Amino acid sequence: MFGDGGKAMKYDLVVGLETHVELSTKTKIFCNCANKFGSEPNTNCCPICIGLPGTLPKLNREVVNFAIKAALALNCEVSLVSKMDRKNYVYPDLPKAYQISQFYEPICKNGYIELDSGKKIRINHIHMEEDAAKLVYKGGDTYVDYNRGGVPLLEVVTEPDISSSDEAAEYLEKLQMIMRYIGVSDCRMQEGSIKCDVNVSVKPEGSEKLGTRTEIKNMNSITFMAKAIDYERERHIELIENGGKVEQQTLRYLPETNSTESMRSKEDAQDYRYFRDPDLVDIVLTKEQIDEIKKTLPELPGVRFKKYVNEFGIAEKEAMLLVKYKNVSDYFEESIKGLKNAKTVSNFIIGQIFRSLETEAEKEAFEILTTPSQMNELVKLIESGKLNMNLAKKALMKMLESGKPVTEFVSEKDMQGIPPEEMKKLCEDAIKANENAVNDYLSGKEKALKALLGSVMKQTRGRGNAQDIETMLKDMISK
Amino acid sequence: MITREAVLNLANLSKLYLEESEIENAQKEIEGMVNFADEINKINIDFEDLPELESISNAFHEDEIKESFPQEKILENVDGGKDGYFHIKKFN
Repeated sequence: MFGDGGKAMKYDLVVGLETHVELSTKTKIFCNCANKFGSEPNTNCCPICIGLPGTLPKLNREVVNFAIKAALALNCEVSLVSKMDRKNYVYPDLPKAYQISQFYEPICKNGYIELDSGKKIRINHIHMEEDAAKLVYKGGDTYVDYNRGGVPLLEVVTEPDISSSDEAAEYLEKLQMIMRYIGVSDCRMQEGSIKCDVNVSVKPEGSEKLGTRTEIKNMNSITFMAKAIDYERERHIELIENGGKVEQQTLRYLPETNSTESMRSKEDAQDYRYFRDPDLVDIVLTKEQIDEIKKTLPELPGVRFKKYVNEFGIAEKEAMLLVKYKNVSDYFEESIKGLKNAKTVSNFIIGQIFRSLETEAEKEAFEILTTPSQMNELVKLIESGKLNMNLAKKALMKMLESGKPVTEFVSEKDMQGIPPEEMKKLCEDAIKANENAVNDYLSGKEKALKALLGSVMKQTRGRGNAQDIETMLKDMISK
Repeated sequence: MITREAVLNLANLSKLYLEESEIENAQKEIEGMVNFADEINKINIDFEDLPELESISNAFHEDEIKESFPQEKILENVDGGKDGYFHIKKFN
């Protein structure tokens, strides 16, 4: 690690990501077979998607619409004319021996995703393509399931703007979130509906010239992707420090050993011989069409996050938890209508509701019995001073269990609070019964008042307003 | 001019094995194809003269599921496959 001067040489990490997002259209990209995960093998297939000669692919209109949505959400330009190309390679997962993709004229160009730091990770382009079949390896043989063959994908390709594994993870989380918000993909990593190829290189700190890169294929976990980047960074630096050279190659990450291994050697490097697919015609779009789709886009997570922090005064960490899952954020938006303090709803969601939703999948689905309007009603009662927080929390627990409105659990009497006369009496009793605490308080021990307050609250069975009681107690003692 | 190396590279990419005697023949055949393409390339087409060609765009299928083929039918050309899959020996 040390050069001649005994000073450690520093390196910049340079990372670019190519992310495949599987689209949740009903049908495949070039035929009307179902785009469905988990079916019996080779049951969502037809002559087009198993690549029989003489068949003619036809592009799915919805795939184009989804691509436009993605382009708009990722700040890209939409190409008014784009074309499909053939990428040639021979492998059993590809029955035609070519993949239909976009190379020369992709549908979207020049976008970006903004990280929390304000740094923009530029997107070079997004293109549409078909997925390959699934290969299952068993007992030394290979089994092919073409259900996945022809499933529509968007490939989102960044510039090499990412300079740490943390930035890579944040970029991918944001991309995943945005794709879910606009409803083009469920982005389930464990089902492979989002995966990425990672290009990694290092260069001496501040140097303009990029180092030789290696590509890690098919990462389907954000954690492993971050680990793989860190591992490759160290490996490259070690090679360079020891006078070696980084070899340009395609790698596979091995989670068990946290290391990488070569997939193909340089001599086998693919020559894809891209050319225009003569079976498919141009995709020609109009500005009006794009504007129409723009109108259907929901408010994006980045915009909501800023609103929650700046307008509602919610802490960043909590705001992030709210926007992370679209269903949660939609519920929150619906619940806060007409409320003075949106933060109360945020506290209920994060503090109480999330406690019963343990897994990511449960939070993502956010299937709870209390409707947004019931939540709204509950918080309105708090805001109008009819219900104190203590009772509200208890009521919410019961609401969540039963799906019933707050009025089922809080009586009129509870909501009216304690009549002033009764309250006065309770305070007087407490003062009489706790002489020591009163004396302590008078001699300057502020905390002693809490004992009195606690005793009064207990008498009201939680119905009293703690702030009012505290004021009343102070007044009485100082008289 | 299609070189011997170009033929071997293409054969390699296509996972094909060529006998020595086939290499020279393939060289000639591919060269013939490329020359044919070059010939067509010489034709000067102005698309403004052919508006009907320009107007061929946007052939889409609607996103509605139609019935797929039965598994047996899909696997018919591979003697029924194995356990519902296309089955192949180890490759690479």
